[in-house]
Amino acid sequence: MSVNSFADELRARSDEAIAALFQVRPDLLSPVPTDLSALSARANSTPSLMRALESLNKFQLEVLTAICILNEPFSKAELLSITTADAGDELLRLWAAALVYKDGSKFRLPGNLRHLIGDEPAGLGPQSQKKIDFKSLKDIPTDSAAVLERLTWGPPRGQVVNIKSPGKAIGWLLENNYLMVMDSRTVVLPREVGMNLRGGKVLKEFTPFANKFIGTKRKQGDVDRAAIANISNFLRWCEELAHNWSDEPPIALRSGGIGIRDLKRSAHHLGVDENTLAFVAEILYLGGLIVVDTDDQILPTNSFDIWMSRSLEERWSSLVALWFETSRVSGLVGKSGEKNIAALGPELDRAGIASMRKVTLNILAQNLEQDPDIKNLQEIIAWQMPQRFNAEYIEWTLREAEWLGLTGQGALSEFGRALLNEEENLGVENALPKPVDHILIQADNSAIAPGPLTVELSNMIGTIADIESRGGASVYRFSESSIRRGLDHGQTGEQIKDFLKKTSKTPVPQPLEYLINDVAKRHGRLRVGSATSYLRCEDEGLITQILYDKKIEHLQFRKLAPQVLVCDFEAGDVINTLREAGYLPAGENMNGILISAPAIRRAKSRPRPPRVISEVQAPNEIVIKAAVRTLRTGEKASSHKPREVPRTTANETLDLLHQYIEEQASLTIGYADTNGGVSNRLIDPISISLGTLIARDHATGEMASFRIPRITGVSPAK
Amino acid sequence: MTDGPLIVQSDKTLLLDIDHPLSDECRRAIASFAELEKSPEHIHTYRLTPLGLWNARAAGHDAEQVVDILLKYSRFAVPHALLVDVAETMSRYGRLRLEAHPVHGLVLVSHDPAVLKEVTRGKKVAPMLGLQLDDETIVVHPGQRGFLKQALLKLGWPAEDFAGYVDGEHHEIDLVQDGWKIRKYQELAAEGFWHGGSGVVVLPCGAGKTIVGAAAMAHAKATTLILVTNTIAARQWRDELLKRTTLNEDEIGEYSGSKKEIRPVTIATYQVMTTRKQGVYAHLDLFDAIDWGLIIYDEVHLLPAPIFRFTADIQSRRRLGLTATLVREDGMEGEVFSLIGPKRFDVPWREIEAQGYIAPADCIEVRVDLTEAERLNYATAEPEDRYRFCSTTATKRKVAIALAKKHSAEQVLIIGQYIDQLDALSEELGVPLIKGDTPIKERERLFGLYRAGEIKCLVVSKVANFSIDLPDATIAIQVSGTFGSRQEEAQRLGRILRPKSDGRTARFYSIVARDTVDQDFAQNRQRFLAEQGYAYGIIDAEDILSANPD
Repeated sequence: MSVNSFADELRARSDEAIAALFQVRPDLLSPVPTDLSALSARANSTPSLMRALESLNKFQLEVLTAICILNEPFSKAELLSITTADAGDELLRLWAAALVYKDGSKFRLPGNLRHLIGDEPAGLGPQSQKKIDFKSLKDIPTDSAAVLERLTWGPPRGQVVNIKSPGKAIGWLLENNYLMVMDSRTVVLPREVGMNLRGGKVLKEFTPFANKFIGTKRKQGDVDRAAIANISNFLRWCEELAHNWSDEPPIALRSGGIGIRDLKRSAHHLGVDENTLAFVAEILYLGGLIVVDTDDQILPTNSFDIWMSRSLEERWSSLVALWFETSRVSGLVGKSGEKNIAALGPELDRAGIASMRKVTLNILAQNLEQDPDIKNLQEIIAWQMPQRFNAEYIEWTLREAEWLGLTGQGALSEFGRALLNEEENLGVENALPKPVDHILIQADNSAIAPGPLTVELSNMIGTIADIESRGGASVYRFSESSIRRGLDHGQTGEQIKDFLKKTSKTPVPQPLEYLINDVAKRHGRLRVGSATSYLRCEDEGLITQILYDKKIEHLQFRKLAPQVLVCDFEAGDVINTLREAGYLPAGENMNGILISAPAIRRAKSRPRPPRVISEVQAPNEIVIKAAVRTLRTGEKASSHKPREVPRTTANETLDLLHQYIEEQASLTIGYADTNGGVSNRLIDPISISLGTLIARDHATGEMASFRIPRITGVSPAK
Repeated sequence: MTDGPLIVQSDKTLLLDIDHPLSDECRRAIASFAELEKSPEHIHTYRLTPLGLWNARAAGHDAEQVVDILLKYSRFAVPHALLVDVAETMSRYGRLRLEAHPVHGLVLVSHDPAVLKEVTRGKKVAPMLGLQLDDETIVVHPGQRGFLKQALLKLGWPAEDFAGYVDGEHHEIDLVQDGWKIRKYQELAAEGFWHGGSGVVVLPCGAGKTIVGAAAMAHAKATTLILVTNTIAARQWRDELLKRTTLNEDEIGEYSGSKKEIRPVTIATYQVMTTRKQGVYAHLDLFDAIDWGLIIYDEVHLLPAPIFRFTADIQSRRRLGLTATLVREDGMEGEVFSLIGPKRFDVPWREIEAQGYIAPADCIEVRVDLTEAERLNYATAEPEDRYRFCSTTATKRKVAIALAKKHSAEQVLIIGQYIDQLDALSEELGVPLIKGDTPIKERERLFGLYRAGEIKCLVVSKVANFSIDLPDATIAIQVSGTFGSRQEEAQRLGRILRPKSDGRTARFYSIVARDTVDQDFAQNRQRFLAEQGYAYGIIDAEDILSANPD
């Protein structure tokens, strides 16, 4: 059969084979192609092929690279001869993924794939045009042998000073066709020679299998216990951070995200390091539990309250699910040696991290009760997904899985396994310590909750005591300021005492009662309020009369003392209203001195006159003289002005530049700066790319780039 | 999930539920590596610190034991990171060893060349080290033993000291147990110290630290230098040693401001050791005067900084530190660890109290409402005078007198900070006053009379804080304190915690002016006591005054 098209071959595949193709390359399905020609076009498109290549493991890539060496169509036997026996199975898998297609009993590559693999697959050069007699190899001079040895395993190109006089070693190789000339300075090792020198195999070694997993043995019970500790820690962090930010919201940076100082402060508050805090903040952000508000404050949202009302297991699994899918990499935050990337900022997205997380956890799932050796794990993943692999991401994934409690002591926990298998009941709820509904108060004014508190209790205690130590239990301390805070939140001293008596398993110590009483007694003794004007009168009867006068009821007087009323209206209005009602009020100033006539009304705001846009006024003499002087000076200067480079059109400019680059000659250009001022530059042009001229500037002696649209004219240098 | 008595917090505190049936067992298990921070009535708080963990290593415990104990008694799952941290910290102790080399003298040895490399890079450490003999051994410059240990501790690699001790000049000392018997824990403390070589014994006030010192001397049987806080303490040491050991008067010398005797057993005060003449410490020669076999530091938590420097020089002599608490207000716990040695023995107060050696005490705060006039004066006083003003008000004095009269049948001590106030109290009550300028002879006479019961009430200034022995004081009344020092409160309580012959409860009154800085400071001091398990009761001054209508 003659040359078959890719589309025809796909058309000939069975339905099962097409289904299998969709399985390994799901991107071909969205949207569903209209017919098989469309499918073949998409399967041969660069983006889709790139994705397919990314999903290959190291051995599959090796085989595919080897295929690129072969002339199409190639047979399986040809492939095996330049690779290893294991390559046969991979060829079938590559076929299933439509990365090769059949042409009769032989195979071909989809057109675009070769370009993606590159011109020099496996470091092998182009095919030679000439006949090569390998017999002469046995007479090779030592120097030439050394050159060949260097080029054998790629890259196949080498630089020479001048191809006209290549020297003995290279000269011999060129003569015998063991090297080809690429350009005036480059020689290349032809593919046939390379293959011959490599002993007929494309690579020194093929890696058909990943390394064996190495890990430290753990007991599942210990792992689960550690994981549960991690889970409860993680949930506590989330809760605590949201509460903390609700009290003291950090302000988002102008460039987006949270500043390093806020990060440090919150990390200190939670008692964790900044990496952990960045991670927790990111997870909350992903879940929409916190948000950057319109005024740039970072605050918890309503979703946080809803989240808090759910069961612990739901709280946990909802956040973990987000972590699995997100493309944001919180490990990048504050990474040393890189520009500072902010948590919650716009720069955290990285492609491929989500699949890396899945792969990592799948490996853990296949090796239960094992705490992986990180180096070994990285090697395994580097084999599985060589195109996406990033050693740091693996490290961060393991670290984050531990924080989340997916793992405990490094090994996959029962809860993590259940989550990966999408089981209904993850078992987290039962394993977490039961919330306690009591506290123990001690004589040193501390209270201990010997376990996680119910939400209501922890909210209440949080308002009247400061938290001192966190973990499985919480230690709270009562102090004057914490009690005051409780009173500020609307509690009374009695309510606080009742609450403590009810919640504490131990009797409330006497010093604490004294503390609450003392603070409650003083709290609110000073009262602060606001009023706009006051009314005072030594006749208490008159004050009472005014207070109950229906006619002036709308002034809403309040009695502060037997002789003083206040209201929220302006003094002038109050005076007028009182006069209308038949009273005889008088205004007084700050010192209580009677103001005889009501003050003339004045605006309260500062004067803000509008800007004057008036006619041009005749300038005075000094200004005129100065202007004339300036003109004269300018005139003199312009007579010394350098010759302006003649203007050229855009096309002329380009043509001229190309011409000069070819001639490697210096030239003068007119170049406009950002303000439109034109200056002349003497330059040596070097190249043009992307609308920019790269050239050496004579003035500075350094390489500079010039935007072509800004070049006003080009002329030969004088 | 076990249901143990211990809760391990992520901030490295351990909460021990003492009402739990396993709490005693657990307490004994964790005492070796965790430091008791506070012990109120229900939940005791311990803390895991590097020093505590290294103390445990020094006592022969390893990380595996510690982790096992934590896991065994923990109520909730223990954070894995914390366990890793414990193991990591503990493994740091002993990686470096100081040893005596037959040829090169003192050497620093480590089987871990990387650690050795790391510490030799340290700016402070490098100048103390000499030739590197091989991958694992570096010569230490002579005389740097103490300074090197200090510097290594700061780097987080505490060195274990195996360089041994000089025996010192032999001197026969034995305990004479006639009519008294050394208590079990005192014996254990002395043995713990002796086997460790050097180190600190932590015992509460009144638990007989002097006897531990005497027992240690009996182990050493060598000339001994004893450093104490002041002259009174020095005399008490002498009296105790005469009573408890084979030593006679001629063998014990006093080296203080007034006397400069150097004898096989010499008792010197911190004050004289740190006296400078023209900028030079004048009495340092004492450390070399005799080939001492043992140096005892009384009240290590008060050891002045210059003494640390001298101590760094005498690392080849055995050192015993005695104290009621390892907490130093100046945070120099690390110096104590590296220069005197790790903790060798420790019993919490309450445990000894339960054994009946210390009288239980009632602590009562008397809250005084200032009069309107006093409040007004207080409000307008300069901030730096406020404390003095509120702690010396007339109202307070009235309450103090009422209390003293109420307890007139018992042995009463009135303690205060401000001399005017004490003068007035002493005059009004017609009782003697002991203050800074009272001659030592007079002090001893008055204390003698007080002990004999001929004087029922004494007014004392802060000179009485340390190391005086007033066995029959049952009531202490504190009218003013030095701001908020926790040390002082413990010392004062110590005064009356000494065993009573009839097992009566001692009482500690602290008179505090309500709504003033006095109350804030009092709260700080009391928190320390409450953390030690001494719950405070509060009464209003009105209740006392109305009971004593005059």
